[in-house]
Amino acid sequence: MHYPWWYVPFLNAPMLIAAIAVLHVLVSHYAVGGGLFLAVETSFAYKTKNTNYLAYLRQHAWFFILITVVYGAITGVGIWWTIGLASPLATETLIHAFVFGWAMEYVFFVLEVVSAFIFYYYWGRLDSKTHTAIGWIYAGAAWISLVLITGITAFMLHPGSWPESKNFWAGFFNPQFVPQVLSRTGGSFLLASLYVYLHAAFKVKDPAMRDMIAARSARPALLGSILIVLGGVGWFLFLPESAKAALAAASTLNIMMAIIFALTIGVFLLLYFGPYKNPGWLTPGFAIVLFVMGLSAFSTGEFVREAVRKPFILYNVVLGNQVLAEEVPALKANGYLESGNWLRAHVAARFPQTLEDGKINEAKLLELPRENQLELGEMLFQYACNNCHATKNGMSAASHLMRGWTVAMIRTVSREPEKMHFFMPPWAGTPEESELLTQYLISIAPAHPAGMYFGEEQ
Amino acid sequence: MTPTDLIGPASSLGSPAPYWFLVFFKVLGFILHMIPMSLWYAGILLALLLRWRGGEFGRLWSARLMKQMPLWVALGVNFGIVPLLFTQVSYYQVFYPATILMAWFWFSVILLLTLAYYGVYIYAYGLKEGQTLTPFRRVAGWISAIFFIAIGFLFSNAFSLMTNLGGWPALAEKTGYAGAVFGTALNTADATLWPRWLMFFGLALTTTGAYAFVDAGVFARKESDAYRRTWAGSFALKIYTLGMLWFAFFGSWYVFGTWPTEIRLVMFAMPLGILTVLTGVSPGLVWVCLWLFRKSVGKGTALLVALAQFVVLALNAVSRQIVQNLELKKFLDITAEPVKIQLSPIILFLLLFVFGVAVVVWMVRKIIAVEGKPAAAGS
Repeated sequence: MHYPWWYVPFLNAPMLIAAIAVLHVLVSHYAVGGGLFLAVETSFAYKTKNTNYLAYLRQHAWFFILITVVYGAITGVGIWWTIGLASPLATETLIHAFVFGWAMEYVFFVLEVVSAFIFYYYWGRLDSKTHTAIGWIYAGAAWISLVLITGITAFMLHPGSWPESKNFWAGFFNPQFVPQVLSRTGGSFLLASLYVYLHAAFKVKDPAMRDMIAARSARPALLGSILIVLGGVGWFLFLPESAKAALAAASTLNIMMAIIFALTIGVFLLLYFGPYKNPGWLTPGFAIVLFVMGLSAFSTGEFVREAVRKPFILYNVVLGNQVLAEEVPALKANGYLESGNWLRAHVAARFPQTLEDGKINEAKLLELPRENQLELGEMLFQYACNNCHATKNGMSAASHLMRGWTVAMIRTVSREPEKMHFFMPPWAGTPEESELLTQYLISIAPAHPAGMYFGEEQ
Repeated sequence: MTPTDLIGPASSLGSPAPYWFLVFFKVLGFILHMIPMSLWYAGILLALLLRWRGGEFGRLWSARLMKQMPLWVALGVNFGIVPLLFTQVSYYQVFYPATILMAWFWFSVILLLTLAYYGVYIYAYGLKEGQTLTPFRRVAGWISAIFFIAIGFLFSNAFSLMTNLGGWPALAEKTGYAGAVFGTALNTADATLWPRWLMFFGLALTTTGAYAFVDAGVFARKESDAYRRTWAGSFALKIYTLGMLWFAFFGSWYVFGTWPTEIRLVMFAMPLGILTVLTGVSPGLVWVCLWLFRKSVGKGTALLVALAQFVVLALNAVSRQIVQNLELKKFLDITAEPVKIQLSPIILFLLLFVFGVAVVVWMVRKIIAVEGKPAAAGS
């Protein structure tokens, strides 16, 4: 409401963030782990004078650049693009709090890009010592990037003492920092090996070479799995109470957690009995199965990580519907329509008769004709609810969620949504505005499904 | 609905650094971004035209530029992050609404850029030894050229809409739904949009021309003397002349045809008048250099041209920043936000910045040392 709301029918604007972010993390973790893989393995290949392996690593470096430098870099910038559109207030807050965190990360991003290009394009022209040094510069810069970004994303889930102190370091070294760095580092090791297996399974024809790649990459992958579990346990232990409660309460999240556990165990077992114990198992089919399982576990994990923050985008700081938690009491007192720049301007232009001394008179809103009240109700829905709920059809559509509800139930959820479901934001407006929202919700709520049998009435 | 009503409150967190500090990095990043960005904005189109209709050397220049293009795109995207980051710190109250009004177009930049970037790789791969430029690769190249120009148009839209607050209410009304917006607005009704976009294309052409000279003088040492010493210098001069005339025409339209009187009064009064005049005439100085050096392409002259063009771009970026603030001044004083300085993160950033530059310099020195040497073992 500080900013105009971007209405994306059916999907809801924040889902675009999820789409871009998931696509990005699947590559960004490879950008970290793959860098380490190239640095370690190139050093090994030079040391053992294994020219065939060096030739393969050069091929892999090209694949790595095409995936990470192009796709990874653009989707990374794409996250910025999308969060600014779909969550502008949260982005504004994050960037004011952590601009120099991102600036530091940018320094390492530059090092990554420059070293990656030199590492690949000067392959065979640099002496082995310099070449591996540049590989290690890439690996180090990429991991530090991970640490810096994780400090900020972990802050979103648990800002620690930042809301009181507003101190950069208090926010950066938040309770979720270490667990998430551990799990993301582990994720990088694991994903990199899965990418390596996928690439090698198709590109390497020599069985001995393929076995060697399978065996050597199994160790970091297994270590990665262990780090993910350790980080995951820490993540759970240091979750805010509401996030733990959301994990327990939401059936979708229960299912997703079960999927993550099953897939992680599956990947671990396949890695152990496959590449680690029996490197010969590495075939294109096996690599694809491993890759898909790993990516599925990862994507599901990212989705859960995002979902448990509800109703906040930045825990205890910015609510999902683009309201600062600290401004809720003022909004309740002064009105949501009056306090939102774009809303107030729209009401003033559309219903000037509701203004008194330049301010919206809440009582007059309920004197408007019914169709105007519904219009205002829909406007309130857009700004207060559409971040999670589509209207009549689509993502978590409010209409279908309220099917068969009584007017009293709808009124309750309008007035005190946070009492209905603790993972919903509180109503941040006046009772009159809540009534407008109620009228709109009633107008889109379908009747209870017909034909359902619950026994004969006595 | 009045424009100022639509500006949200300032962040209670305050600006994390003084305005001058933020704007310094914003402008520096923009200057660095403009160099590679010009090469993909105007250079790709020019390279493809020369591939299609150019002579022997024209095709050689085209191939040279397109082989380097993946690196230029990577650097351009990378340098573009800096101004974007600092724009969001200092100009958030106008940047977010403007981009949300045109959200789908702004969002489409991600897709356009991804496709354009891969298109460049697909085309460049066809230029490798043993490969051919198949029709598919040529189409990929043309798609990249068109998409990069389209991205430029969308950027001009976003950044002109950011200061065109007077246009917001009508656009919100026209593309709105229940008080929200569909994100389908474009700033095409703004008189400044078209000359700005086209003026920038002219500036990009001048940079492409200057780079043709620099490439011949510094990087094309393995090419024939006929290419380097005769053709490249004259070609660079021709392209630069075209770009300069284009820039002068659309720049004049922009300055004299679209600037409101209050901005013209400030920008042509002393001391800013000096900057405005220098910004306008500076490409002429590079043109003189190119004319003088057209038959003496070498490392020294190339570096001089590069430095002169850098000054042209820097003058443009600084002038642009001042005009941007003047355009916003009647609605919002960007420089007035209270500062709550984050001293230790700033110090750490500056230390890391110096460290990062040192490491980049070390890596570049290593590759300069091996340039021209035969391949080592291990390849």
